[in-house]
Amino acid sequence: MITASHLTRRFGSRTAVDDVTFEVGRSEIVALLGPNGAGKTTTLRMLAGLIAPTSGSVAIGGVRLTRTNGSSLRMQIGFLTEAPGLWDRLTVRENLRVYAGLYGLADGESRIDRVLDLFAIADRGRTRTAELSKGTRQKVALARALLHDPTILLLDEPTSGLDPEVTRSVRLLLDERRAAGCSILVSTHNLDEAERLADRVAVLDERLVAIDDPAALRARLTTGRTIIRVAGDPSLCIPAVRALLGPAVDVVVERSTIALQLPHPDRQTPALVASLVAAGAEILEVRAEMPALEDVYVHLMGADGGGA
Amino acid sequence: MGRIAPLLAKEFLDLIRNKTALVPVAIVTVLSLALPFGIAIAIPSLTGHPLGEDADLVRVSHAAAAAASLSDDGRIQLFLFQQFLMMFLITPVTGAMALASHAIVGEKQARTLEPLLATPLGTFELLVAKVLGALVPTMTISGIGLAIYLGGIVLFAAPGVGASMASVRTLLLAALVVPASALVSLQAAILISSRVNDARTAQQFGALIIIPLAGLMVAEFSGSVWLSAAALAVIGVALLAVWLALTFVSVAAFDRETILTRWR
Repeated sequence: MITASHLTRRFGSRTAVDDVTFEVGRSEIVALLGPNGAGKTTTLRMLAGLIAPTSGSVAIGGVRLTRTNGSSLRMQIGFLTEAPGLWDRLTVRENLRVYAGLYGLADGESRIDRVLDLFAIADRGRTRTAELSKGTRQKVALARALLHDPTILLLDEPTSGLDPEVTRSVRLLLDERRAAGCSILVSTHNLDEAERLADRVAVLDERLVAIDDPAALRARLTTGRTIIRVAGDPSLCIPAVRALLGPAVDVVVERSTIALQLPHPDRQTPALVASLVAAGAEILEVRAEMPALEDVYVHLMGADGGGA
Repeated sequence: MGRIAPLLAKEFLDLIRNKTALVPVAIVTVLSLALPFGIAIAIPSLTGHPLGEDADLVRVSHAAAAAASLSDDGRIQLFLFQQFLMMFLITPVTGAMALASHAIVGEKQARTLEPLLATPLGTFELLVAKVLGALVPTMTISGIGLAIYLGGIVLFAAPGVGASMASVRTLLLAALVVPASALVSLQAAILISSRVNDARTAQQFGALIIIPLAGLMVAEFSGSVWLSAAALAVIGVALLAVWLALTFVSVAAFDRETILTRWR
């Protein structure tokens, strides 16, 4: 588990991260979501012990990260930097071998074999990293971050610029690491990735704007409308709706759906469906309207004028 | 300390794959060989004017090389070879400067420094690996050059010159002062490399380190300074002390936060 407590980092007069508190539990993936300059990389660097917070603290497994214990605590952390940071003149295996040595791994070669297999790049072991594609370089960087079996993974934009196939393999790998008990913090711009991958999403814009699971974040913006999709002309359903709920009910027809505000959707939806069916409507779908995570993000960032 | 070896291995591998980085030290080594043999042996024999005809050389060689058993030519050769031995002070310094000044800023520019700093690797270990990574290959080339130099003297110089070169002074210069001055200059270059954000700036600052060494050489050649074995021993020990001090300053001055967050 990794805990950030009131983390603040200033560079001169500029505040990059302001009073950020959260934790990533065992077997949990948290996505750190935010625009460029929101402080994501600075937060990751503070959590990895690469830069010190101006105030606040980081704890790894309950142990406060300090300058003196930073070296030993970094043994527990796998850090994927924004750029792969591979030595171009060295081969994939040589790159990993250096890191195996730096982590003091006695079984370095077998671990290298394992991570190369994990990313299906065993055949590239003897290839100089300068000759690799961007996706393969990213795989090697991820393999490097996993080489020492860290319990905490800090990943800065792990799928940035990768094709969908590689992105998917990275996502599957992170699922596996989560299942193995890792605490994983992933910074990303990608809302879709955050939603697919993360148990919780932390929205950062210098300060922590929100942190919750994606569904709960979406629910913050939910309109409370019930959407009913029908076969045929949806406007034909309006009389049946008004007969049940009264003439004042506001029913909006949108292409093949009707949308309406139900004061008590759990109680009223079954009766509404029954009366529509009785009126001859062929119902294809009934659901509560939920905003996309993107809408939530835009709302939280204040881009829609609403602010957080 | 166990983390120095893997990083050092990386430095050597990188260098093996980028041999052009060693071209400067190879050029200086070749010059260090060509100049003394050209001046002390080739030119006199090609022109037919022995060194002993030059009254100034005879005078300064008496002051610096008091080997009574040598002829005038032999004594002057001994004096010149002793003086040119100082060139081997500069050989590893100039060659390694390019490597050392690139050491930290190069990693930063290649964006390989941040993942490295995210490991348990300490600053001291990083800097020691960087110094040794530049020192070992350049000292190896320089050492080979020195062996050729001494072998050449035995083979081509006047009788007795080779034996006279085998002195405590030569040993101190080759085994103590040369590596110690290389260490000082490399450590200074690494220190500079970790404080500037551009490799060219690091090299320009690093080049300044040559100035005191060049001054010492000029003083020796002019005959105004003759460094005895005792003086060389003192200089060697002093240089080692300076290197140790520079190592601690380098560790203290290595500001990983600035390197990671301000350098672009």
